[in-house]
Amino acid sequence: MTFTQIQQKARSVWKAFAGEDRLRILVGTGTCGRAAGAIEVIEAIRDWLKRERIEARVYEVGCLGLCYAEPLVELGRPGAPRLLYGNVTIENVELILHDYFKEGRLPSDLALAVMGEKSIEGIPALMDHPMLKGQVRVVLRNCGLIDPANIDHYLARGGYAGLAKTLAMSPDKVIEEIIKSGLRGRGGAGFPTGMKWEYCRRSAGSRKYMICNADEGDPGAFMDRAVIESDPHSVIEGMTIAAYAIGASEGYIYVRAEYPLAIERLENAIVQAEDYALLGDNVLDSGHRFHIKLKQGAGAFVCGEETALLASIEGKRGMPRPRPPFPAQEGLHGKPTNINNVETLANVPAIMEHGSEWFARHGTDKSRGTKTFALAGKIVRTGLIEVPLGISLGEIVFEIGGGIPGNKKIKAVQTGGPSGGCIPAKLLDMPVDYEKLAAAGAIMGSGGMVVMDEDTCMVDIARYFVEFTHSESCGKCVPCRLGTKQMLQILNRITKGEGRLEDIDLLLQIAATMKQGALCGLGQTAPNPVLTTIRYFRDEYEAHIKRKKCPAAVCRGLVKAPCMHTCPAGVHVPRYMRYIAAGRYSDALDVIMEKIPFPSICGYVCFHPCETKCRRGDLDDPIAVRALKRFAAERGIRRRRKRAPKAKPTGRRVAVVGSGPAGLTAAFYLGKLGHKVAVFERDTQPGGTLRTGIPGFRLPRNVIDEEIERIMKASRFSIRTNSSNISALKLLKRGYDAVLLACGAQKGLKMGIEGEDDAGVFDCLTFLKRFNSSENTNLGGRVSVIGGGSSAMDAARAALRAGAREVTVLYRRTRVEMPAAAEEVEEALEEGVNMEFLTAPTAIHRKNGALILKCIRMQPGPMDDSGRARPVPIDGSSFDKQVDAVIMAVGQAPEDTFASDCKADRGGRIQVDEDTFQTNCNGVFAAGDLVTGPASIIEAIAAGRLAACSIDRYLGGQGIIAEVVAPDKEEESGEMLEEQDAVPRIEIPKRAPKDRVADGGQVELCYSEQSALAEAARCLRCDLEQEQE
Amino acid sequence: MRIFPKDMKEIILTIDGSKVTVPEGTTVLEAACSAGIYIPTLCSDEGLEPYGACRMCIVEIDGIKGLPTSCTTAVSDGMTVRTDTEEVNKVRRMICEMLIADHPADCLSCSSNQKCELQKVASYLGVTQQRLEKTKRESILDNSNPFFGRDLSKCILCGRCVRACREIRGVGAIDIAGRGDASHIATITDVPISESVCESCGECVDRCPVGALAVKTEILPPTREVKTLCPYCGCGCGLVLGVRGGRIVSIRGDTDNVVNRGSLCVKGRFGLDFVGAHDRLTTPLIRRNGKLEKASWAEALELVASRFREIKDKAGPDALAGFSSAKCTNEENYVFQKFMRAVLGTNNVDHCARLCHASTVAGLARTFGSGAMTNSIGEIEHADCIFVTGSNTTEAHPVIALKIKAAVQKHGASLILADPRRIDLARFAALHLRQRSGTDVALLNAMMNVIISEGLGNKDFIASRTEGFEEFKKSVEDAVPERAAEITGVPADLIRQAARMYAKAQRASIIYSMGITQHTTGTDNVLALANLAMITGNLGKESTGVNPLRGQNNVQGACDLGALPDVYPGYQKVDDPAIKKKFEDAWGGSLSEKPGLTLVEIMNAAAEKRVKGLYIMGENPMLSDPNLNHVKEALEHLEFLCVQDIFLSETAQLADVVLPAASFAEKDGTFTNTERRVQMVHKACEPPGEARQDWEIICELAARLGYAMPYRAPSGIMAEIASVTPIYAGISFDRLEENGLQWPCPDRSHPGTAVLHQAKFPCGKGKFHPTPFREAAELPDEQYPYLLTTGRYLYHFHTGTLSRRSAGLEIISPSAPFEINPGDAAREGVVEGDLVELATRRGVVRARAVLTERSPAGTIFMPFHFKEGAANMLTNDALDPVAKIPEFKVCAVRVSKLNP
Repeated sequence: MTFTQIQQKARSVWKAFAGEDRLRILVGTGTCGRAAGAIEVIEAIRDWLKRERIEARVYEVGCLGLCYAEPLVELGRPGAPRLLYGNVTIENVELILHDYFKEGRLPSDLALAVMGEKSIEGIPALMDHPMLKGQVRVVLRNCGLIDPANIDHYLARGGYAGLAKTLAMSPDKVIEEIIKSGLRGRGGAGFPTGMKWEYCRRSAGSRKYMICNADEGDPGAFMDRAVIESDPHSVIEGMTIAAYAIGASEGYIYVRAEYPLAIERLENAIVQAEDYALLGDNVLDSGHRFHIKLKQGAGAFVCGEETALLASIEGKRGMPRPRPPFPAQEGLHGKPTNINNVETLANVPAIMEHGSEWFARHGTDKSRGTKTFALAGKIVRTGLIEVPLGISLGEIVFEIGGGIPGNKKIKAVQTGGPSGGCIPAKLLDMPVDYEKLAAAGAIMGSGGMVVMDEDTCMVDIARYFVEFTHSESCGKCVPCRLGTKQMLQILNRITKGEGRLEDIDLLLQIAATMKQGALCGLGQTAPNPVLTTIRYFRDEYEAHIKRKKCPAAVCRGLVKAPCMHTCPAGVHVPRYMRYIAAGRYSDALDVIMEKIPFPSICGYVCFHPCETKCRRGDLDDPIAVRALKRFAAERGIRRRRKRAPKAKPTGRRVAVVGSGPAGLTAAFYLGKLGHKVAVFERDTQPGGTLRTGIPGFRLPRNVIDEEIERIMKASRFSIRTNSSNISALKLLKRGYDAVLLACGAQKGLKMGIEGEDDAGVFDCLTFLKRFNSSENTNLGGRVSVIGGGSSAMDAARAALRAGAREVTVLYRRTRVEMPAAAEEVEEALEEGVNMEFLTAPTAIHRKNGALILKCIRMQPGPMDDSGRARPVPIDGSSFDKQVDAVIMAVGQAPEDTFASDCKADRGGRIQVDEDTFQTNCNGVFAAGDLVTGPASIIEAIAAGRLAACSIDRYLGGQGIIAEVVAPDKEEESGEMLEEQDAVPRIEIPKRAPKDRVADGGQVELCYSEQSALAEAARCLRCDLEQEQE
Repeated sequence: MRIFPKDMKEIILTIDGSKVTVPEGTTVLEAACSAGIYIPTLCSDEGLEPYGACRMCIVEIDGIKGLPTSCTTAVSDGMTVRTDTEEVNKVRRMICEMLIADHPADCLSCSSNQKCELQKVASYLGVTQQRLEKTKRESILDNSNPFFGRDLSKCILCGRCVRACREIRGVGAIDIAGRGDASHIATITDVPISESVCESCGECVDRCPVGALAVKTEILPPTREVKTLCPYCGCGCGLVLGVRGGRIVSIRGDTDNVVNRGSLCVKGRFGLDFVGAHDRLTTPLIRRNGKLEKASWAEALELVASRFREIKDKAGPDALAGFSSAKCTNEENYVFQKFMRAVLGTNNVDHCARLCHASTVAGLARTFGSGAMTNSIGEIEHADCIFVTGSNTTEAHPVIALKIKAAVQKHGASLILADPRRIDLARFAALHLRQRSGTDVALLNAMMNVIISEGLGNKDFIASRTEGFEEFKKSVEDAVPERAAEITGVPADLIRQAARMYAKAQRASIIYSMGITQHTTGTDNVLALANLAMITGNLGKESTGVNPLRGQNNVQGACDLGALPDVYPGYQKVDDPAIKKKFEDAWGGSLSEKPGLTLVEIMNAAAEKRVKGLYIMGENPMLSDPNLNHVKEALEHLEFLCVQDIFLSETAQLADVVLPAASFAEKDGTFTNTERRVQMVHKACEPPGEARQDWEIICELAARLGYAMPYRAPSGIMAEIASVTPIYAGISFDRLEENGLQWPCPDRSHPGTAVLHQAKFPCGKGKFHPTPFREAAELPDEQYPYLLTTGRYLYHFHTGTLSRRSAGLEIISPSAPFEINPGDAAREGVVEGDLVELATRRGVVRARAVLTERSPAGTIFMPFHFKEGAANMLTNDALDPVAKIPEFKVCAVRVSKLNP
C-alpha cells in the first residue's frame, strides 16, 4: 500500500469510529483511569447495554488529562451532543446511561464538558473546561480522543504525515527544520534537540542508534506514561523521523517495567507500524531502514541518566560514566547514539507535519512550544496538562488547577522532581521556561509539578526528596552516595528536633560539594530541593533547629499532635479532650492550666491556631478546641485541685510594665517562683488589650476580672494602675532586679492617604478603647471600617452596637484572604455589617461638612511574598462614598512610651535575644506584641511564660515553671482513632444576631454538657499514634 | 603505565604553570603524575580503565565547565590545568570528610595502617577535624577465603577490586550490588567468596586502597622488601617478598616487572609457605641400614664423591647420569651440567623439560632452527587473533592468560581455542574447537588445507622466507575439513571458520603447551603449528609467532644452559668437534662427544642396570614421570642414588644420600622465563639449618672429585656462561636488574631480542615438514573404554612438592580428583565425590569424581599434582620417536566404582 492508500483506509476506519450515526461510548482506560475503576465501569456499561438490549460500541481510549475526575466516560448518540462525564462509578453509571440513552435527558450533573466546539447550557465545550481552557495541545493532541491500540485512528488524525514529509527531505533539512522550531529536550535539561541530532549525525561511523528514554522516574510525574498509553504512535513516528535524520537503523525504547500498559501499547503499536511498513527494512519504500526494540528498565531511577541507560541496555549495571565522550560520540556499544525523551519525540511528528514556524508560535524566545506537566499535590484539579511555555506558575495552579483545596494557602510548587526545587508562592508569577526555573533554583525537569500548601513542611519535603535520591543514587561516586547519606542524616535529625545551629551551613556545603563534585546529573541536582528550601524557607529550618517547632506541624519527631504543636503555649489539647470526653472537667482544666494561666479568656477569644492543623479537619471539621476550652474552664473551676504552692521568697524584685496577657502571665509565674513582682499599668484597670481591644460581646468583663484576680491571689503580685512616667532604666534604678517590658503594640497605624487626620477618622484601637470603657461611641449613621483583620471586625461590630445605622467594611483583597477568623467575619455579616471587597480608600475629603471617602476598586495582581495576589487598582474605577465616620483598622505598632531605653527596629519593635528575651539593656527584658508586633493573645501568653523562665534564670533560679497538675498516666494507654466516619463539628451555640446587637451582650454561648461530650469524643487522639517505621 | 604506539603524537599542556609533554591519549592525571605533580585519587589504579567515582582527582581546566576529573579527561594541546586551587581542595576536603565519616577509621588496629590511601589523601588535604557525624555502615565480614578477609565496613566503593577482577583478571567474581548507600561489593548471588568463581589471585587485595580486603597472615609489616621471581610456572612473574626477622611476612606482585606488572596468581601470591615449612631438609642424610639418617656435610659429600668415583672407575662415565632441575637457577644448571660433563665425563644429563617441551625443542629446531617462544608475553595483548591449543593457560600460566583475556576484552582480538576440554578460556573464545585428544595434526592440517585452497596464505612470506612448501602443500591436499571432522570430531564448518579467522588476521599468535607436546606425535604437532604460522607469514613480527609456554619457572634456562644430553649451553651440539674443542679449552680436560641419554632413556637404562649411579638435583621423577611403577623399579635397581632437594620428596626417600638445598628465596641467581627473559633472583632469607645453595654443593662435590670450581658467587658463574654461550654472551647481572634481558643477546651492548626470526631464521629459511596424521599410541578399547588425559590445576603445581605445603591451597584444592563428563559418570554409576578406581595397563589409582561438562564425553581428566592419586601411575610412557617425550596426554583407562 502506498501511504495515500494507508491514509484512505485509516480515514474510513476513523469515520466509522467518530461518525455520528451510531451510539458509542468511550472510556478512558489509561493507568489513571484504571486506578480509578474504569475497567469496572466498562463492565457495568456492558452489563447495562446487554440488559437494556441497546447496541452501542464501547471503545477504550487514553487519558484526557482530567485525572481528578477519572473515570471519564464519553457518550454519543445521533442527533445529540456528545457529552463527557467525570467521576463515573459503577454506582452512578446506570443513571447516566439511562438519562442519556433512554430518556434523552441532557445533561446529568456529572457532565464535565461537551465534546466539540459548542457548549450547551451549564456545560462548557471541552476546550472551554476550566482545566483545558489555558492549554495548548501538541503532544497530547490525540490523548483521550483516539483508540491508542488502533493505528488507523492515529493515521486519520494526521499521523505519520510528518514522517512521509520527512522521508522526502534530506536528513540535513530535517535537522534544520527541528533546529528552527526551537524544540528543546523535554527530559529536563532542555538541550536543543536539533543540535543533539546534528552532533550524532556528524559523528563518524555507519552504525548508529536512536533511543527513546521512557524511564520516567520522578515521584509524581506521569507525562510519558500517559503519552505512550494514549498515543504510542506519536513516539514511534518521532523516533523514526529522528533515526532518519541521524542515520540510525536500530532503535530502542527504554521503558520502565512498572509501566505494563505502556509496554503493551508500544508492543502493539510497533507491530502495527511494521505491518504498514512505517517501520522496518524499507520505511514507506524510501530505503530508510529502522527497527525498534523495547528494553524494560528494572526501576532504577538513575537509568534515566543517558550513560546509565546505555549501560543498562548493554546488560551492565546501570551506572553512569563520565562524559565526554558523549553518547552522540560513543554511545550504545560504543557507537554514536541519540537519546530523546518521550515528550520530545512526540513533538517531532507535529513539527514535521506543520512546520517549525507553526511550532515556534507558542512559547517564549528561548523556550519554544508547549510543555506537559503532571499536576499533583495540594491542588483541586490534578491531572495531565500541556501549556505553552512562558505561562506563569500562578496561572497553572489557580486557573488550570483550580487552586488549593480547603481554602488553604499555597506555600510552594515543586518542579523537576528530586532534581528540581521548591519555588515559593511569592514567585508564582514567574513564567515557566527553562532559564527562569533554573534561575529560581529549580529545573523544568520532565514535568512533575507538585503543589504544596501551608500544611507542608519544607524541611520534611527536602528530607523526602533526599531520601529518594539517597536510595536511588547508583552509589558509584562518593559525593552522591555519601552526600545524600549525610544530608539525609542531617535532615532527619532536624526533623526530629535534634538539629544543630551549624546544620544549615553544613547542608549548604555538602550541597555545593555535590553540585561541583558528583559524576552525573542525578548527584549534581540532588541537592536542589535542599538548596531551594533553605533559600526560600530558611525560617522553617531555623524553627525546627532553634525552637524545635515544625511550623506546618508535620514532622513526626517533633509533633506529637498537630494541635498541641501549633499552640504557641503548647497546651496538651488531646489530653484535655480526653478528660472532657470522660466527664473529668476539672482534670481537663488542670491540663490547660499547666501551660496557661488564662483558660477562660482563651476559651472565649483565643485565635485557636490549633484548629487549623487539627487532623480531624482532613476528615470533616476540626475539633472545636476553643469552645471546649471555654467549657472546661466553666465546668472545671468548681472542683479544682490544689496547685503547686508558691515558692519561698527569693528576695528579688521584678517590675513588669504592662498588664496585658504577656505581662500578667510573666508576673504570675515570676511571683510563683518567689520573686516580688510589681506590674505597672498605664490604664485605670489591668488587662491591656484584653480589656481595651476586645469588646465585651466577645469577652465579658467579669471573665477578665475573675481571671486576673485568681492569678494575683495565687501568685501574690501587685498591680499598680495609672502608672505613667516610668521607664525601664528608672525602674532598675528604683531597685528592681529585673524589668520586663510587655506594653504591647497600642499605636494604630495610618494609611498615609490624604485627609486621614480628619476628626471623623478614628484609629481602630482608640475607638475600641472608648467603646470598651463604655464611652459614647456613636459615630453617626454611616461608618466605614477599613481593614480585614480581627480588629476591623471588632470595630465594625462595635460601631453597630454603638448605634451606627450602616457599617461597611472595605477590604482591598477578597474574603478568603481576610486575616480575621472566619467565624468573626461570619458573625459580623450575620449582624448586618456590609463588606466591600477589592476596594481601597485613596483619600478622605470633607465636603460641605460631609465626609467623602474616595475609593477605588482593586483586582488581584501579581503574587506578593505570602503567595497571595497583590491587589492592584483598576484604572478608572474610582468612586466616592459618603460617610459619617471612618475607622482605620490597618495595623498596630508599639508605642515608644516605656521602652525608649531599648533598641528597637524601624517599626518600633523592641529587639531581644531570641532565647533570653533580654534587650540590649542588661536586666531589661521584653515580650509580647512589643517585640513581635501585633499578634495573638495565646502568643503573648506563651511569650510571657518563656520570659518568666528567662528572668528567673537571670535572677539565679532554674527557670523551671513546668508543673503537672492533672493525673495523666492512665490516659496515655489508648490508641489513636483511625478509620472514623465523618461526623461534623457540633455547632457552637450563639445568640440570635438581632438580640446580641441590641443588648450588646455575649455573642457566643457555652457548649451544653451533652454537646461538649460529643464534640470532645471526635478528637482522634493523634498524640497516641504509634511510631510507624 | 599504559602502552602507547611509538608513533603517537605528542601533546604539550600546562599543569600548575609548568609545561608538560606527553603522548596523545594520556589522561590529565597521568600527565600530572609524569610531571611529578601529586593529585589525590582513590579509584584510579594502574592498568584499570578510568572510572571517575571517587571524584578526588578533580581539577580546573580552562575552557571546561565545572571541575572535571583528571582521570577521565584526556590531554589536549594547549590545555591549562590547575590541580591545587582552593576551589578544588574545598570540594576534595568535603568528599574526604564524607568518606571518613562513613569509615570505621580504626586506623591503629587496621592492617592497612600506614599504607592506607584514604589516610594519605586525608593527610594531604589536611582533613583532621570532623564536622560530619559518623554515618552508619553495616559491617559484613567474609572470611571464607583461606588467604584474605573482607570487611565491607571499611570499603570506600572505589571499585578497584571489581574492575581488577573483571578488567585485569577476566574473572568477574565480584560486582557492586545494591543501590545508593546500600551499594556494596558482592559476589554473584551473594555467596561467600570461597563459593564464588574467585580464583584467589589476590589482585583485589593488592589493589584495595584501604583495609577492606586484607591478607589474613599479613599482620606485621615487613622490615625490608626483596625483589625476586616467582618459583612456580614459566611466566616469570616478579615478586616482592617482605621480610621480617628472617621470615617472609608478605608477598606482592612486582609492579615494576614488565612481565606481570604486579599481577600474580594464587600460587605466587599465597602459595610460598613451603619456604618456611617445618619439614624442610636441614642436614644431609645418609642411608644406613636401609634408613636415612642425619649426617655431616663432610661425611655425605665424601660418600657421594667416592661412590661416583667408584662407579665411573668400574663401569665407565656413562654408567653415571644426572637430572638437573628446572627449578634451580641458570647458574646452578650450568654448574650441574658442567659437573656431569667435565667432572664425571658423561653427557647423561637431562631434566624434566624432556617431559614437557622436548618436542618443541625438536620441532622448532627443525623448522626455524631454534626452539623457544618466538615472541614475547607482552605482545599477546596486541594480537588480532590468538590461536590457543593444548594450553589451559588460565590454570597453567595464569598471568599469560591475563594477556589473552585483555586482548579479547580490551582490544577486541578473536580467540580461537582448540582444546578437547571446555577450559576457562572458552568463555573468551570466538571459536572453540573440541578435538578428540591426540588428533591435533589432523585438525591443523585441515586448517592449512582451507587456508591454501582458499588462497588465504601469505605467498610473499612463503616465497621469501621458507622452503619445502610445494611438497608440504601436497601433503595437506587430502586433508579436507570433512575428513578432519571425522577424525577430530570438530565440525568441518568450524574448522573452516577457524582457518579463515586465523589467516585473515593482521597479527595472529599461536600459543600452545603440553596439550601439543606430550604426545607420541608431539614433534609432528609442533611442526604442524610451525607450518601454520609459516604459510600465513605470522612470524618475525610483533604479536605473532609460535609460542610454546614453558611449564617450570626455569625450564627454559635449564635447557639454555645445557641440562640436555645432546647440547652444551646455548644449544651447541656435543657431537660437533669444534664445539667440543671450545668447551674442552674452557673447562680443561677432555669431554665426551657422544650425546647422552634422555631422561626416560636413563630410567630405562637404570632399570637395565646400564646406568648405575644417578645424581638428581631438585627433581621428583617419582611423581612427574610416566609409568611410575617402572620409575620406582628403575631407581631401585641403581647402585647409588644421590638426591639434592629442599624436601624429602618421593624420589629422595629412595636415595642413598640426600643433600639439603636452598629454596629460591634463599639464593641469588637468574631464571629464564618462557619468553627467553633472563631475570634476577635475589636472596630474601637464609636457608634453614645446614641447607646450602645447590651450586655450592656441586662445587664442593667437584672439589672432592679433584676438579676445582672456584666460583665465589653466581655472578661469576654467569660471567663464565656468557663467555661460552653465544646467545647469553651479552648477559651479566649488572644488566638484569631492570626488566632482565631476552636472549639472544650476543654482546654487552645488545638490548636483547623480543621477537625472534625477524629478518631470517637461525637455520636460514623456515623449513616445511609434512606431518601426516598418526593416532596416539594407546586408544580406548573395550577393556579400557575411556581416554585419560592429564594436566594442571590452578591451585597446585607440578608434583605438589611446593604447593601442597600451603595450607590455603590445600583447603581450596584438596585430595586427588578426576574429572568426568556427567553422562559418562551416570553410565558408570558414579556420583560427585565418589572414590573411584582408575586403571590402565600400567597401574591403578583411586581418586574422587568431579562431574563436569568441562570433560567431553569419553574423556577423563586428571591433574598430576597428587601423590595419593598419582595420575602418572596410569600414563603411558610411549615416546615420541624424535623428541623422546612420553605420551602423558593420551592413554586408555577404565573406571570402576568402588563398593561402599
